[in-house]
Amino acid sequence: MLDSALVDALRLSLQVAALSTALVALPAVALGRFLARRDFPGRSLVEALAALPLYCPPTAFGFLLLRAFRRDGPLGPQALGFDLDLLLTWRGAVLASAVMSFPLVMRTARVAFENVPARLEQMAASLGASRAQVLWRVTLPLARNGLIAALLIGFSRALGEFGATVIVAGNIPGRTQTLATGIFDALQVGDDARAVQLAGWSALLGFAAVWTSEWFLRRSRSARA
Amino acid sequence: MSGVLELQFTLPLSGFTLALEHSTRSRALGVFGPSGSGKSSLVEALAGWRRGARGRIQFDGATWLDSERGIELEAARRGVGYVPQDQLLFPHLNVESNLRFGCTRDEGLVERVLRVLEIEPLRARDVATLSGGERQRVALGRALCARPRLLLLDEPFGALDRPLRRRILPYLVRAQREFDSPLVLVSHDATEIAAVCDEVLVLREGRIVARGAPSSVLTPAGELDDGFENVLRGRVSAVGASSASVDLGGVVLEVPRTALNVGERAVIAVRADDVLIARAAPSGLSARNVLPARIDELVRGPAARLRVSLGAQPLWVELTEAAIDELELAVGGKVFVVVKTRACRVLASSASA
Repeated sequence: MLDSALVDALRLSLQVAALSTALVALPAVALGRFLARRDFPGRSLVEALAALPLYCPPTAFGFLLLRAFRRDGPLGPQALGFDLDLLLTWRGAVLASAVMSFPLVMRTARVAFENVPARLEQMAASLGASRAQVLWRVTLPLARNGLIAALLIGFSRALGEFGATVIVAGNIPGRTQTLATGIFDALQVGDDARAVQLAGWSALLGFAAVWTSEWFLRRSRSARA
Repeated sequence: MSGVLELQFTLPLSGFTLALEHSTRSRALGVFGPSGSGKSSLVEALAGWRRGARGRIQFDGATWLDSERGIELEAARRGVGYVPQDQLLFPHLNVESNLRFGCTRDEGLVERVLRVLEIEPLRARDVATLSGGERQRVALGRALCARPRLLLLDEPFGALDRPLRRRILPYLVRAQREFDSPLVLVSHDATEIAAVCDEVLVLREGRIVARGAPSSVLTPAGELDDGFENVLRGRVSAVGASSASVDLGGVVLEVPRTALNVGERAVIAVRADDVLIARAAPSGLSARNVLPARIDELVRGPAARLRVSLGAQPLWVELTEAAIDELELAVGGKVFVVVKTRACRVLASSASA
């Protein structure tokens, strides 16, 4: 049944995943668009750097974020003159999830843009459309399904995020505990029933997000064919 | 006054270099040649879609390319209406939204284009549901709606089979008359070029190997794969129950009536191997056209043929060398040209200007 601790974890997980997806959407889609159409020296370096969260342990990123935002860190209160209040708060969980889901969103968006035939954009420009109009009237509508899929994949990645989140935001029930960190907590105190419950909800939400994203990806592929 | 198109540029392609030098005031320039001769690259260079050309391209006083001065005008600023082989219709927009894409104002224009190209019934259709011929008309319409200074048509009917190409050709001729936009038409179909263009460049491996009026350049000696068609122009002088008379300028040709009306201009195709030659006026023939003519040119050999004039227009006739010998045909000789009404195909007609 839904006890209040579970409801808290569920609500916080959805809130963190939604906000981290919103945070990551613009920069990831913009970089995906840039990499889909531009070739420049050092491109592979940018690609590899942007993919870093995919192949580095999340705990390493959690550690880096912790170092960056702690009191004497380069983005900490001493350096900035004010406190971003990210450590041990749900806002920290949003940041950690955003960083970890960035490469997935960016790569899926890049593929969505690559699937838009460049000649259609060229035709739009030939018909007098400005760059912004080409983007707005041709590129984005044609990439739409792929971009929605990218955001859903980012959302599901954020739902499952553990390693970086637990280091930056901690695992405080009712305040920063998500489904993912809650499972760890339940295991540590030997509450298997609770772990199963949390795992079940995680699987259900993750499945719904990924399944929906697959549906959009399929539509984006069939629109192309 | 027609704008001058000046081409003086080179463009390296895989295998050879496209090297063109030509200046023309033609309102309808045809570019003819086998596939892989550089025709599409020429159009893409004109459209500004293919970079890397060296030299000069000017149209109507505007410089599109001048590599010495570092000028290469981007596609959007050339004001061309490009209709590529693959049409490139926007798949997320319906027919009308495709037409309106490049149309900034002038409500009347879109309606006129819809009417002239007979695509009004398609206006709300998803472009994915259009047939090949419909797609071509929509692509042509979209280019026209952008009020281009120059229309660039790259094998606009290339993907269609021959009967369908012939059904669509009248729309192009009609659009040309109605919207009066100068155009460059790339095609490997000589009949198409002869029906639409007043000047033609023949390309081979990136070079111009012949240029001039289609009637003098596009002859049976050219690289014509499936039979040469004469293209004749005239005015409809009478319309009967099943046939119509087309005045070619002193000589009247009986053609199938189709949708012709008296006073209209008509473009007629006659295959060179559908024409008979007689030394004396034959009688008791079913053929409706028996026209006196004089032989202007005679070519012997495996592709034997002769040229006569109908009105002032050349008509090529293909025949065997044995027939030439037996009839003792020679340049200057008087003959009768025999053509069945049904062998004349009406390619296009339009109200006279």
